[in-house]
Amino acid sequence: MSVTADRPTTTRDDLVIVDVDVHVNDTPEALAPYCDAPYRRVLEHISTLPRRYLDIPGYALRLAIDLPLPDRGAGARSVHTPQQMREDLDALAVDIGILFPDHLLTMAALPDDVYAAALGRAYNAWLAEEWVSRAEGLYGAVVAAPQDPEDAAREIRRYGALDEFVGVYLPTAGVNPLWGARRYTPIFEAAAEMGLPVMLHSVGLIHAAFPFNVEQFRTILFRHPIQHEFALMANMFSMLESAIPARFPDLRIVFTEGGISWVPFTMWRLDKEYHEYRSLAPLLEHPPSHYIRKFYFSTQPIEEPERPQDLVTMLDMFDGADQVLFASDWPHHDFDHPRQVLNMPFSADAKRKIMGENALALFGIDAPVRAG
Amino acid sequence: MARISAGPADALAPGERTFVTHRNFEIGVFNVNGKFRAYRNRCPHQLGPACEGAISGTLMGSADTDWQLEWVLDGRVLLCPWHQVEFDLDTGERIRGLGERLRSYTVEVDDGELYVHV
Repeated sequence: MSVTADRPTTTRDDLVIVDVDVHVNDTPEALAPYCDAPYRRVLEHISTLPRRYLDIPGYALRLAIDLPLPDRGAGARSVHTPQQMREDLDALAVDIGILFPDHLLTMAALPDDVYAAALGRAYNAWLAEEWVSRAEGLYGAVVAAPQDPEDAAREIRRYGALDEFVGVYLPTAGVNPLWGARRYTPIFEAAAEMGLPVMLHSVGLIHAAFPFNVEQFRTILFRHPIQHEFALMANMFSMLESAIPARFPDLRIVFTEGGISWVPFTMWRLDKEYHEYRSLAPLLEHPPSHYIRKFYFSTQPIEEPERPQDLVTMLDMFDGADQVLFASDWPHHDFDHPRQVLNMPFSADAKRKIMGENALALFGIDAPVRAG
Repeated sequence: MARISAGPADALAPGERTFVTHRNFEIGVFNVNGKFRAYRNRCPHQLGPACEGAISGTLMGSADTDWQLEWVLDGRVLLCPWHQVEFDLDTGERIRGLGERLRSYTVEVDDGELYVHV
């Protein structure tokens, strides 16, 4: 499957495109050599077992309840090597990509905390050894296993010391308790100390953690937005409830794969509650919207309103030109081509920021030098 | 107006497709159950290569079917490989969309040869 067919010119030479959400295919066989005993042997065994798209290694947590229809098979696109990623991103006119996992998207739901931490360490080591490269414009996010916050904090300090790791990935699908819980404090301390933004990323998961009960939807069409946007929203509220942005004023917080249209709702709804219940959020020094305006949001899945101008209005509602980051979600089934965002009637200034400048500043990445 | 050869008509069996290039873009030429159709290889959604996608059928239902599901348009539904957007290969229209359609071209059979008028 080609991404280049009939592709008109999408970019001008002066536009840097940073894609804050692309996915590497972290198979059990790829992670096994980087995993501690005894889980290395376990991953080697898991490599021989049948698997489905985005299964967590060794577990069938992704209950697949959608009716499989004929010929709808493009959901299984994956990227297996940094060379392939570079070629794919070139075809999308993306200069720099921030790498996220495939299979470890659901790792927060793993009940075995020791195994989860071992998987996280194996992923970070694999990424460091085989994937990240400044020359190739491929940067990593340290995965923080929520099951073992002390271990995750060690991983953040270890890999955050490398220039090629520019953020911390907080697995969001199936996380229990939500990311505002006190037990995660070591993770936020380490991220703040290392100057790394934390990046929440959910995925389609049917599981007994928030947002549970989604098995009531028979189709991904109506379930998928809840699995992403509601999971992000719940974790945002949890983090505000425990005053994470007040306690860690320098910590940058990124919400990925939720689009942007849910953001104004969170500001206005929480601010309304705050009038009445401020005393129940005693550690917040300002109304919730004050903090939400400082959060970052990635574009994909970018809304596609019939009137494109409506999306510009939506962005203006939360002064999003400085806070929104382009993401494609390549190679997943619902990826956005950069031109989908570029073609929206944002101002030239907003486009430059959203497509790359905001991310370069946020992650402390130098702009690429163009040949010629 | 250009007239582009797409090869012998009898070389394109029902369910098959071929591609021609005009200037810098591609056109997919399809045999849809015996009728020839030509569409630009560009999806109106995110400009993906729609004409390279699977040809299938789809599920639909309505008051006319007493809200029962039917597998319909078998062999007539083109799925864009990027996001699975469905198009009716007979008309180029997105199925139950907002009026979007693939850019279509007239196909002529002249002395056994297929020609696309661009």
